[in-house]
Amino acid sequence: MSDELRVMMLTWEFPPRIIGGISPHVYYLSRSLAKNGVKVYVVTCDFPGAPAHETVDSVEVYRVDSYKNPSPDFASWVYLMNMNMQKEAASLVRELGGVDIFHAHDWLVANAGIGLKHVFRRPLLATVHSTEYGRRNGIHSDYERMIHETEAWLTYEAWKVICCSNYMVSHVKWVFGLPEDKLVMIPNGVDAKEYEKSDIDLNQFRRRFALPEEKIVLFVGRLVYEKGIHVLINAVPKVLEKVNAKFVIVGNGYMQQSLLEHIRNIGLAHKVMFTGFVDDKTLRNLQKCADVSVVPSLFEPFGIVALEAMAAKSPVVVSDTGGLSEIVEHEVTGIKVYPNNPDSLAWGITRVLLDENLANKLRENAYRKVVEMYNWERISQQIKRVYEIVLSEYSKTFWA
Amino acid sequence: MRVIIFSWEYPPRVVGKLADYVKKLAVHLARNKIETHVITYHDYMTGEFEENGVKTYRVTNPVKTHISVLTWVLTLNQEVERAAANIYYRAGGSIDVIDVQDWHFIPAAVTLKKVFGIPFVYSIESLEDHRSHGANSPFNMAIKSIEWLGMYEAGKILVKSEWMASEAVRIYKVPEAKVKVAKPESERWLRTVLETYKSLREAHRSV
Repeated sequence: MSDELRVMMLTWEFPPRIIGGISPHVYYLSRSLAKNGVKVYVVTCDFPGAPAHETVDSVEVYRVDSYKNPSPDFASWVYLMNMNMQKEAASLVRELGGVDIFHAHDWLVANAGIGLKHVFRRPLLATVHSTEYGRRNGIHSDYERMIHETEAWLTYEAWKVICCSNYMVSHVKWVFGLPEDKLVMIPNGVDAKEYEKSDIDLNQFRRRFALPEEKIVLFVGRLVYEKGIHVLINAVPKVLEKVNAKFVIVGNGYMQQSLLEHIRNIGLAHKVMFTGFVDDKTLRNLQKCADVSVVPSLFEPFGIVALEAMAAKSPVVVSDTGGLSEIVEHEVTGIKVYPNNPDSLAWGITRVLLDENLANKLRENAYRKVVEMYNWERISQQIKRVYEIVLSEYSKTFWA
Repeated sequence: MRVIIFSWEYPPRVVGKLADYVKKLAVHLARNKIETHVITYHDYMTGEFEENGVKTYRVTNPVKTHISVLTWVLTLNQEVERAAANIYYRAGGSIDVIDVQDWHFIPAAVTLKKVFGIPFVYSIESLEDHRSHGANSPFNMAIKSIEWLGMYEAGKILVKSEWMASEAVRIYKVPEAKVKVAKPESERWLRTVLETYKSLREAHRSV
């Protein structure tokens, strides 16, 4: 066995397959781990045009044919995909002559991770990005309970469970009844360098969204209830009483139509712009142009969009809930407002827009915090440390 | 010779007629000095037992709530793998053959083949095509795709009648030579099963 630590990451999404936040998370994490001398093998689902095996920034990526079996529903597809993923990963581990640790991301790869753990007798680590209970605000059907129990099974089998905020640690501990010492908090990260690149004239770009005299208030997220977009819409007239602003709403969701109608009915359609889904580059430029970025979520495990805004040096106003409460320090790195309260949100937005000095102070502090606390270099070192602790505990067991 | 049989039903859990057949098979193998393990499912009577010379290992489903027998089976497979791995490591890494009864634990058998190189026999009691009367909803097709995987990865396929042999060939385009008929009522039944196991073991050893 070589001295190099060998990790097999299991994830249902990896670029260019991007469905949610797990894909960029695993990409940045694996890349930074590789830089820190960890050999990472990513096993993931296939994607049209992406090769079955490639080396991305020293990370070995293997893509498994994941649409082989007809599936009656999403959860059955997940379990059948796991059957194929486990089979391919098993052959791969055998070819490689073994790996030290398996690291699974969410219930979507639970079966594969658990099976591999037992047949190779190596430790399994799980990162819980989100829970069925949190996503649905409770468990309401057999389908949801099955997923919930699969998540519980993964955390039961995992040596350690990683969560991205203290809020998620306490939520996961409660919802699955886990012992305290099994949980580790390691935050999510953002690559601030991505925001340094600039190949366009931002003033020119800005004109596509707002008049020069209008301040830009930016919202990025799915247009669904839990993201609190309706709270922002209700705050629009309250903000406009004090400041001339344009509200730019990025993202799609089932609430879009009713929100649009409401805005039209109160005669403010010219002040709110719905862009729909935009590409990464446009999004980053928008975040750089925003005079304030708003995250009014009612439920938020982490709040990566707040971090991205901070990396883009846009002042943030967030609701004081979940992971957002931990990322933002009130009046230091951003403004915190009461969740589900349009008056409080309007107060926060106008506070930033009317006080240039405060806005600049928030920008600088927030950017510094992102670079110091939420950089992938630091995060990957924390994760590597967890691997080392688990392996040293493992070495004392009869499996070793 | 050391053999593990996978079956989703085994006495006292009797669902259809497979349970009694597997019991008869396991007891006869044990009488013939074959170290016989049975890995099966039970709701709560979990753990290891020795019954009539047969070592049984009962596992339960780590996920209790399910939407179909398909999802139920797919989360149970990891427990079957865990039990088989425990037997494998305890035996110092020598299992000669795995005998999978019907489709339920084919995923586990395939993984164990990839990891430890243990060859497996796929024993057919019934096929989804007959059970579902030719229905081809995604649910039935998913089960058929698992049966196909078993046909493809198995070293040999054991059936209980000439008719089933021809059905396996017709439905899954399996080469005829891969299918062996062992009629449970015939005198040659156990000998055919044993010869099939041995042929897989020899084939595996010569690799």
